[in-house]
Amino acid sequence: MPSRPPEVDVAVIGGGPAGLAAAAAAAEEGASVRLIERSEDLGGILNQCIHDGFGLHAFGEALSGPEFAHRYIARVLAAGVEVETDTMVAQFDRSREIVLTTRGTRQAMSARAVVLAMGCRERTPGMILMPGQRPAGVYTAGVAQWLVNEANLLVGRTAVILGSGDVGLIMARRLTWEGARVLAVLEKLPYHSGLARNVQQCLVDHGIPLYLSHTVSRIDGADRVERVAVAQVDEAGCPIPESEFTLACDTLLCSIGLIPENELSRQAGIALDPITGGARVNEQLMTSAPGVFACGNVLHIHDVADWAAAEGERAGRNAARYAAGEPIGSESPVAVRAGKGIRYVLPQLIPCSSDGLDLSLRVDRPARGVRIAVRADSRTVHDVSRTRVHPAEMVRIALPRLTLSPGVSIEVSLQ
Amino acid sequence: MAKGQRTADGHQRVWDCLIVGAGIVGASLARRLSRFELTVAVVDKAADVGLGASCRNSGVLHSGINYRPGSLRARLCMEGRDTLQAWCATLGVPAATPGKLITAHTKRDLDALDALTAQGEANGVPGVRRIDEEEVQSLQPGVRALAALHVPSAGIVSPYAATIALAEEASLNGVAFFLQRTVHAIREESGTFVLDTDTGPLRGRWVINAAGVAAATLGQTADPALPEIYPCRGEYLVMDREVGEAMRTLVYPVPPLKAGGLGVHLTPTTDGNVLVGPSAEYLDDGEDYACTADVLSRLVDQARGFWPAFPREKVIGTYAGTRAKLTPPGQGGFADFFIEESSRHPRLVHLLGLESPALTCAPAIARTVVEEIMGARERIERKPEDRLVPHAWPQRFDDLPEQEKQAQVAAHPDHGDIVCRCEGVTRHEVLAALENPLGVETLVGLKYRTRVTMGRCHGGYCVPRLVELLRNERGWQPDRFHLKGPNSPLFAGFAKEPGDA
Amino acid sequence: MSRSTLTCILCPNGCELEIDWTNAPGGPAVVKVSGNSCPKGTAYATEEITAPVRTVTTTVRVAGGIRPLVPVRTAVPVPLSSVTACLKALRAVVLTAPVRIGERIAADIAGTGVSVIATRTVQRAAPSSKL
Repeated sequence: MPSRPPEVDVAVIGGGPAGLAAAAAAAEEGASVRLIERSEDLGGILNQCIHDGFGLHAFGEALSGPEFAHRYIARVLAAGVEVETDTMVAQFDRSREIVLTTRGTRQAMSARAVVLAMGCRERTPGMILMPGQRPAGVYTAGVAQWLVNEANLLVGRTAVILGSGDVGLIMARRLTWEGARVLAVLEKLPYHSGLARNVQQCLVDHGIPLYLSHTVSRIDGADRVERVAVAQVDEAGCPIPESEFTLACDTLLCSIGLIPENELSRQAGIALDPITGGARVNEQLMTSAPGVFACGNVLHIHDVADWAAAEGERAGRNAARYAAGEPIGSESPVAVRAGKGIRYVLPQLIPCSSDGLDLSLRVDRPARGVRIAVRADSRTVHDVSRTRVHPAEMVRIALPRLTLSPGVSIEVSLQ
Repeated sequence: MAKGQRTADGHQRVWDCLIVGAGIVGASLARRLSRFELTVAVVDKAADVGLGASCRNSGVLHSGINYRPGSLRARLCMEGRDTLQAWCATLGVPAATPGKLITAHTKRDLDALDALTAQGEANGVPGVRRIDEEEVQSLQPGVRALAALHVPSAGIVSPYAATIALAEEASLNGVAFFLQRTVHAIREESGTFVLDTDTGPLRGRWVINAAGVAAATLGQTADPALPEIYPCRGEYLVMDREVGEAMRTLVYPVPPLKAGGLGVHLTPTTDGNVLVGPSAEYLDDGEDYACTADVLSRLVDQARGFWPAFPREKVIGTYAGTRAKLTPPGQGGFADFFIEESSRHPRLVHLLGLESPALTCAPAIARTVVEEIMGARERIERKPEDRLVPHAWPQRFDDLPEQEKQAQVAAHPDHGDIVCRCEGVTRHEVLAALENPLGVETLVGLKYRTRVTMGRCHGGYCVPRLVELLRNERGWQPDRFHLKGPNSPLFAGFAKEPGDA
Repeated sequence: MSRSTLTCILCPNGCELEIDWTNAPGGPAVVKVSGNSCPKGTAYATEEITAPVRTVTTTVRVAGGIRPLVPVRTAVPVPLSSVTACLKALRAVVLTAPVRIGERIAADIAGTGVSVIATRTVQRAAPSSKL
């Protein structure tokens, strides 16, 4: 694409919690900011998350999703961010040229820095090769949430939910509270994926059984769901045929995982991490494309919106600094790897010397009474203990001041 | 010409020709017959055309190399492929010629390549070349084979676009379409045929039984001695379009002996996806389109067999289709097409066993019926050219170059609103698709006309957008939303009865 | 004597609490709580057994708005036993747009003494585009 002079300092793609925080923070740093959001309203996924539990860390209050969004939207508007809603980014180039499209207008723009905050999409039953027919009544949990909460549509009357992540648990309660019957929540792993609080308040409160180590082995119904076959799974996660039973229902909700939405990043040739599904970033959240930053669910799937927003603030601040000509990133960064017991660590690149920086990580299995060790080659440079860790809950570690030799290998592992 | 809706007087009139089945063959027949001064109606039990095998196949425009020289399939394939390509070009239906590699993986396969080369030559398939392992790699990196045949004339076509475009064009040219109408039996009553349907009889002078997997059961109501059809299901994996960027040739390993099909192969589609499959399992219910755990996992293993780096994580969906085979389980293999006028009932034509390559052959099958069977009994007058209404399959907005997109958005503002993010489908395209001549309003109808919900997120973004659009723009109530027909409602109603009067 | 297990939600430790309790004339009574690493766990467990409370979040119909529903929540948690009554009462409500975020849309819901507030603003729709 031909290069064009930048029209703004920082363009933020996505107006959910991370994007809102990034736009506000960048504008508060003095940058000119344009926030691009494809929906009619700012807020992203928060608008359909009418349950509470947001803002406990950011504001010390238990807010609903829309209320949490409202706080950041107010900040965005007060900071003078130029907001473009109903606008989608159709193309993105690593030279930071962006093609925007909205009703009546499709045109290119350019920015000195870009913050990617596009969030995530849901894993579909097709992606996990769900056997059976393809009737009406099979929804991913997030789509069902939008339909019930925003469009006032009841997705069905008798539901089974696959996946015990928070979205699935929340929807079990939501459907029950809207007069539908939820027969069961199934979880393929031997432990639940969502917060214990949600298991209590969404399932136990309503007498909805949770079947651990179970999955949907088949969907029946040519036109509309008639029943699902449920089976216990073995250690490899494969259904055990002899254990199969059926549940008559008209709806199946699938809450089977979230995938960072990096189509634009891929198009732009930005290096992605196959484990997180998001960009590889340095401690300032800059990707492999200079001046392009990433934060929120597009970088890695968060469990708490407050942290997605906090990450957005960091990305926005750094984007503003980059746009102002400040150096971002270090000469010879050190790679950080996930070792035993750790699924991934962010950022994937850290500087040789720093005054202290934060690592975000997820463990690969639940455990109690563990130590998380950070080693530079064979030398332990930091370790912390945790009473309880769970794959569904992000762990944040504050590293102390460090000086590392270039080329050293940093590994984070569970003891 | 008015929309091809159900006519109130459908019970009374005697149609010149009734076609049972609105698949690619029924649509091809409709198109051919619409050029003549005949009253024609197509009947199908589904809510849209093409929802049987026609939207559930590999979308291949076969080269002709696979068929016994002199067989009906060979002859109709060579004729059909030229006509189908011409029709697609005229209508704007996506089609391409990426070529095919028939790959050999064992010694026995190598012998099969020799046999296929000879067969190709006999059928007049151009440019067939034997290539070595190295050249296989250069044509399609990542695919392992001992050797292969390169068949440059093998092509692909969008089978559902073709079916819909042909049917819609026929409809604009006077062919009536009776959708959501099941034909239970064919009777003859004093020289005309009566189709007994679930909503009253239809009468016609000619009946063409193109009912696909149900054609034998239906045909036997008039001709009990008709051959049986043995349904044989094939399951597929659909790969992300990202995979299609690098996989642009068809790859067909030499199929195992006595297989029910051509074996598990890789087929790029005109939409940019890659299909893996199909499998081949005989079953009783020809309309059981379920995918099964065993077969799906076998597809993954088989693909890995000749494509070691098969990206399992890039599978975005699965589907199944049923072949209407004339060869029973145990025998496998292929029988030739059964295209015959009934000996007991002149003017009743049965089309049985139209499995692969029936898509490629469809225009030729239609010509055979119209010219050789119908034309043998009566002189049918052609309509004058200037009375023919042309039809165009809309070009996809997403395929336009960027400059053209910007111009289109300025001229048609709704092209600026992208409803399906994964496939780049615009609000303009969706609203235009809703205006289709057949009056189809289902989600699947929109899907096949625009590609909405066919992307990697399978409706995660676009289903809410579509619901919003249809409710806000068109005032659709919850009970109007259906997946494929009246028995597949999307919703159970409002969550709460609305506050507005 | 009954025994329940509960994961404490008050801090990331997530202690697995074991609660021994009985059905006394005045309602469930906690006899003993174990498994907690701090006193807050005992208080939480006791509350969960004797008088559990929940925040109710749902949607309420809006007439004449740009959207058909407004999300709402109870201003403070209500007794678990009254959740069904709260939902039933809110299902009967129809508000008129505009509804402002933070606005109290019901008082003393289902006799709990608790207010229900809107958690999002729903503007009035232009006359031609009513839902």
